[in-house]
Amino acid sequence: MATQSYTPVPPGVGMEDNFLSLDDILLSQEKLPCRTETAFPRLGFLEKSGDTGDIQEGTKMEMPLWLAKGLYDSKRRVVAVDLPKVYREGWRTVFGADPNVVDLHKMGPYYYGLGSQLLHFDSPENPDIAQTVLQTFVRRFRRIMDSSQNAYNEDTSALVEKLDCMERSLFRSGQAGLHDFQRWEKGQSSQMTASSLVQNYRKRKFAELEA
Amino acid sequence: VSVMSDVLSEASEGSGDDSQELMTPAELIEKLEEAWLNEKFSPELLENKSEIVECVMEQLTHMEENLQRVKKGDLKASIHRMEIDRIRYVLSSYLRSRLQKIEKYFPHVLKKEKSRADGDPSYLSPEEFAFAKEYMANTETYLKNVALRHMPPNLQTVDFAKCVPEPSLDSFVFLRVKVQQENILVEPETDDQSEYAVDLEVGSQHLMRYRTIAPLVSNGAVQLI
Amino acid sequence: MDPSEVEFLAEKEMVTIIPNFSLDKVYLIGGDLGPFNPGLPVDVPVWLAINLKQRQKCRIVPPDWMDVEKLEEIREQERKVGMFTPMPSPYYMELTKLLLNHASDNIPKADEIRTLVKDTWDTRIAKLRLSADSFVSQQEAHAKLDNLTLMEINTIRQLFLESLNHMYKLRTNMQPGKDSAKSQDF
Repeated sequence: MATQSYTPVPPGVGMEDNFLSLDDILLSQEKLPCRTETAFPRLGFLEKSGDTGDIQEGTKMEMPLWLAKGLYDSKRRVVAVDLPKVYREGWRTVFGADPNVVDLHKMGPYYYGLGSQLLHFDSPENPDIAQTVLQTFVRRFRRIMDSSQNAYNEDTSALVEKLDCMERSLFRSGQAGLHDFQRWEKGQSSQMTASSLVQNYRKRKFAELEA
Repeated sequence: VSVMSDVLSEASEGSGDDSQELMTPAELIEKLEEAWLNEKFSPELLENKSEIVECVMEQLTHMEENLQRVKKGDLKASIHRMEIDRIRYVLSSYLRSRLQKIEKYFPHVLKKEKSRADGDPSYLSPEEFAFAKEYMANTETYLKNVALRHMPPNLQTVDFAKCVPEPSLDSFVFLRVKVQQENILVEPETDDQSEYAVDLEVGSQHLMRYRTIAPLVSNGAVQLI
Repeated sequence: MDPSEVEFLAEKEMVTIIPNFSLDKVYLIGGDLGPFNPGLPVDVPVWLAINLKQRQKCRIVPPDWMDVEKLEEIREQERKVGMFTPMPSPYYMELTKLLLNHASDNIPKADEIRTLVKDTWDTRIAKLRLSADSFVSQQEAHAKLDNLTLMEINTIRQLFLESLNHMYKLRTNMQPGKDSAKSQDF
């Protein structure tokens, strides 16, 4: 029986982010190409190539999403955020042609999450980014569903290799549905097994004994 | 049956609610199963069904008392025991799915309960309310001990209402219609669609947003499946 | 929901048994059963039928539809049309498994029945995925699913509902301002 003693907080997806979601914390570390729009006195040490004590206005640097979001202010012009290349027009055209050929793990792995978070920064391209991200999901859905519902008792690493993190979690949900059903069909769901908590506890005890 | 009716009539006197009519035990079990499935599939915590839970408990206790007088190995008694086990399963699964939701959404559940007007029905049973408060306090203490007290003074508080996600009422749900509904407005998903109305016929099944039909779940007109 | 819980619901369906014992009426909380007389058919819920069968206290009479000819017809019909056809029981899959596993000696041509039901199931699941994909790609807001059974819904529930949720969030991205108030500063 599928019971979980701990329910992890899911990622927010879209423009929201969940404070306690591990996925969203990892997403917030993703690097964005930025340009300073003001000088940052005495913060030169943060920037490797800089030899002066200040970060000059107009310096190009990479910043994690959390920092860019914190510094960004559409009125005060502190930093300008550039689009990572996978969200630029060239790649949007590729996605428009056939999103199924793209390796979203390599290009991501938080393609949908980061694409949505980028919308926090004003850009005339935002509507197109939002549209591409949505359409990419819509058009990749069938393959995620089919592969997750067909793969039974086989190595799935090749199937998930090119999926972004959110797609992988959907793949896992599809697999869970399939496995639960197959287990039931084979008459295994009525068999009782020790909970993983108990099993782990035993393992830990053994480990302690051996140590 | 008589025990049941007494309990139910007392309950209805208390709340002054005429909709709570006398039920047969079979109807009571049916209501419990409906509540169980609704709770399992609705994204938010539903109004508690304490009266149903109490009446079912009473039925079970009553039946178990009777069974103690029967000798072991009796066929009839074994049939009764099987039924008791089945009902008990539904009852505990129902209560557990509520506890899971309370754990998942505790700040919002407590906020809703605290902002409730005096006459409104409570979403939580007294036991659940105590559980939610304790869960919140324990989570707070734990976070404080392992992390927050090591943080700079201005970062030592966490606003749970902000960092625990709210139930998503826009989730889709599967449902079966029990009482005919006309003109349920379905909001468009995209700009180039327009809103339209659907009729929900008795026995028909649908996939739509929970938000659209949430009132129909609480008044029993639809059953989540 | 775990499939065993769907099966649990299916076990409430009534089935006819021929008992080999006598017993007065049993007044269960969920309703009265019996009386039971040797050789006389009586309706009981599946959970009880299977238990009695395991104790060799009865023979189970398979439901009308659990019949090769009828199931062949159902399978052909299901393959012929694009829509979901009505099933003879909302728990056809669960009842087939339960009765065939526990009372195959009371059901003629059990193996053929198993295959026919599985074929029908496979056809329906393929249709279900097709409809799920079209629901997503058309970005629909409502679907009527009259003949779908709980077990069928259950196999794709989690994946499908999560996908719709994600899609909804990605779509609200396009209505600036709507959700931005919820985004948090820490």
